[in-house]
Amino acid sequence: MPSPFRRLPAVLFLLFTLVVAACTGGGSTSIPPEATGAIASVLTGTPAPSDAPSAAPSAATFPLAVTDDEGAAVEIATRPTKIVSLTPAVTETLFAIGAGDRVVATDDSSDFPKEAAPLPDVATFSSVDVEKIVNLDADLVIAGGHGFSPAESIAKLRALKIPVLVLYAGSVDGVYHDIELVGTAVGNGPEATTVTAGMRPQIDAISAAAKGSGAPPRVDYEVGYTEGTGQIYVAGDKSFLAEMVTLAGGTPIVGDPVTYEIPLETLIERDPQVIILGVNPFYSPTPAQVAKRAGWSVMTAVKDGQIRPVRDIEITRPGPRLAIGLRNLTAAIWPDLALPSGP
Amino acid sequence: MTIEPILAAEGVTLAYGSRSIVTDANLAIGAGERIAIVGPNGAGKSTFLRALTGVLTPRAGNVRLCGASIATVDRMVVARTIAVVPELAQLPFAMPVDEVVALGRLPHEPPISGLRPSDRAAVVAAIERVGVGQLRRRDARELSMGERQLVFIAVAVAQAASILVLDEPTAHLDIRHQVEVMELLRDLNERDGTTIVAVLHDLALAAHFFPRIVVMDGGRIVADGPPAATLDEAHIRGVFGVDPALVRLPAGAA
Amino acid sequence: MASGALSQELGSVGLAARIRGRPVVVAIVGLVVLAAVALAGVGLGSVRISPADTIAVILWRAFGIDLGATWAPPTEVIVWELRLPRVLTAMVIGGGLAVAGATFQGLLRNPLADPFVLGTSSGAALGAAIAILLPVDIAILAFGLLHALAFGGALLAAFVVFRLGGAGGPGALTRLLLTGYAIGSVLAALLTMAMYVSGSDLRQIFSFLLGGLAGASWPRLVVAAPLIIVSCALIVARSRALDGLLLGDSAARHLGVDVRRERGILLALASMATAAGVAISGLIGFVGLVVPHLVRLLVGPSARRVLPISAIVGAALLVAADLGARLAGDVPVGVVMALVGAPFFLYLLGRTRSGYEL
Repeated sequence: MPSPFRRLPAVLFLLFTLVVAACTGGGSTSIPPEATGAIASVLTGTPAPSDAPSAAPSAATFPLAVTDDEGAAVEIATRPTKIVSLTPAVTETLFAIGAGDRVVATDDSSDFPKEAAPLPDVATFSSVDVEKIVNLDADLVIAGGHGFSPAESIAKLRALKIPVLVLYAGSVDGVYHDIELVGTAVGNGPEATTVTAGMRPQIDAISAAAKGSGAPPRVDYEVGYTEGTGQIYVAGDKSFLAEMVTLAGGTPIVGDPVTYEIPLETLIERDPQVIILGVNPFYSPTPAQVAKRAGWSVMTAVKDGQIRPVRDIEITRPGPRLAIGLRNLTAAIWPDLALPSGP
Repeated sequence: MTIEPILAAEGVTLAYGSRSIVTDANLAIGAGERIAIVGPNGAGKSTFLRALTGVLTPRAGNVRLCGASIATVDRMVVARTIAVVPELAQLPFAMPVDEVVALGRLPHEPPISGLRPSDRAAVVAAIERVGVGQLRRRDARELSMGERQLVFIAVAVAQAASILVLDEPTAHLDIRHQVEVMELLRDLNERDGTTIVAVLHDLALAAHFFPRIVVMDGGRIVADGPPAATLDEAHIRGVFGVDPALVRLPAGAA
Repeated sequence: MASGALSQELGSVGLAARIRGRPVVVAIVGLVVLAAVALAGVGLGSVRISPADTIAVILWRAFGIDLGATWAPPTEVIVWELRLPRVLTAMVIGGGLAVAGATFQGLLRNPLADPFVLGTSSGAALGAAIAILLPVDIAILAFGLLHALAFGGALLAAFVVFRLGGAGGPGALTRLLLTGYAIGSVLAALLTMAMYVSGSDLRQIFSFLLGGLAGASWPRLVVAAPLIIVSCALIVARSRALDGLLLGDSAARHLGVDVRRERGILLALASMATAAGVAISGLIGFVGLVVPHLVRLLVGPSARRVLPISAIVGAALLVAADLGARLAGDVPVGVVMALVGAPFFLYLLGRTRSGYEL
């Protein structure tokens, strides 16, 4: 069995067994970048995502039918009042568009906003508790696609006549699409549009500033590293994370689209000018540790000391705080750049 | 008036591919007879036995059971008529002796409900008859070769068939048990009327206990009759290639 | 009479003590245990439901008996749509795998045989992987492409192995086993390739390999149960042939068994039961291999006793393991079974002096 089944911190297990960068079908491909498998104990203060607009109750018309990201037609009979979110990004979205009071349960890695923390958990990274969802009388479940939520659990819920919306944002545009889709599904369409309308200019502005700063450096965004074997995990080829690096004004050095691995020789050959360390509760190396790795000293980034950690969450989570993530990432790649004011 | 033989081979030829094992064998066995088949290694005795019991189909010739061609007789009917002592096989699971012997009732027991009291009685009787009563609850896999051989004879006895066929049944027994088995066969034959057909390697035992000896050599039956006629000096020297003085035969017919 | 060595006598006393168990008693105890774990399986889960409500829901939905109790609609869904079909499916599949395992062990005269020995597991897994990877989404009667290809893959593998390795003669059984191993290896290699290119579908393939009863539902039970139950019943009806084979092919022939025909029929029936189970629950190991041995330790090797009692014990074991897996946070059921069952089985083996020499 190839390496994906080694026992690594939960973040790596998640990335390898849940997430894909499959290249079939020619569509844009990527990962729902959910790394953490547990609630982070400390949330460093980041400004809240764009506030929910004043809630003029939206005159949404139910029943309605939407198509989810896997092409399934989902019928929602009435305005959902007991929503279950199975991914942290969806949880954030629901709260951002003003539907947070209608969320009755989340998965165990939904850690933002803090109002979401006390909600009961009905899913872990490996399983969904269908009994609990049924017991809560849920009338809408929003799940993660590309294997994030187990397919059989989704099928089981649908067989019990609970509408399940499966979302998968393979790109930044996909994130906008998903936020608005969630808004439509829960009857908060206008609020969702307001959220995305706030995100777009920020992301565009940051990206423009980054790309205007000069030739995009070669960036190695490291998501994982195994001490014993020296295996390196970076942004997958054509993945969401690679797109973020590009938007942040870098040229991403990419690894295998499925396993995210890159051999050391290849990395040395590509010679990153900047190494970004995606830091989260499960993976937090220091630049000093990275610089000491055997064979890494030949890389430009190590020689120039251009190794910088960055908070991973907002960069890899396809939700409303994406602009914050892009800002952090851009600041890490271009530390001297003055970024437009924003969130 | 000729009595229909219970088991008969007519011009039986057996071959594997182009290699001929048995050629044109004729043998008529009457009900209640006690016959020993002897011959050197490779004479085709075991192969011939397999044809007699219906396992091998002859290339030429016919085998008849009670007059009917054995190939046309239903398997279960054959099993109720001919009991063959099983080869010494390795059992895959632990099995007490009385359950091993109970396998002999397979052709008789009803398929769904299993052993009836009469079957169980037959099993017990077979065990006692063969003399392995003290081994009843032992795991058959733990027995010595000799003990196992006796148990397998008991399986065939439990089958309660008209004909009992044995292929070298005393190979692993000491002389005392060899004699006991011979006496058991004689007893089954004389008291119960069971027809006995046994392949033996011990000429002295064969001559002593069997009134009719069939000698095979090179795939053919070369002699068929009482021991005095079939195991005379000429045959011993010619077929077995040894000094007749080495083989102690009884003074008269058994 | 030459007596066995003293040590043989001593050892056999221990074995005899094991084998002395009366099969009827064992069967009744087994049924009682089965009923108990089944009730526990329906009454317990990650949501707490009172026993009174559980019973009331079952009586109402199954028999239309109204005890005058009231319960929230989710309770009824959980008990009747989620737990009850799952427990019943576990019973049917556990029993089916145990019977299939006992059958393969007897047919191949090999104590190490299990329902997957003829490559059925690799065939099913490869079929499932192909179904998962194909961008086709059809479902007929609650069965998707996954179930169909897993079922078909299992049967096809068994058929190919039997055809390639199944001729009679000396060494036939060894040849059959080795052919099963070879075919299984080829299929497993293809499966690994499929997993390697599967991308995000890897998780679904992997969860099939781990096996589990999350996919159980009434429509699937209604189709699979008759397949499994009828196959097992037909096998039990042929217990006599299985017993005859214990002494070897030629002895069986002399006892009236049509060895070639019975072997083919029994293999087909056992493969059918296995394939139907695997299509719903993925690969659940341990049951088919260990339960028959456990039962033999209690009632001896006669198939007429081993098969029905294995069905009961296998059913109870899988229900209990699934319950444990659910309560432990949805751990894969095969893990629970191995962790709990293997040490217990080793203990039992240790108590039996003669053990299982091959």
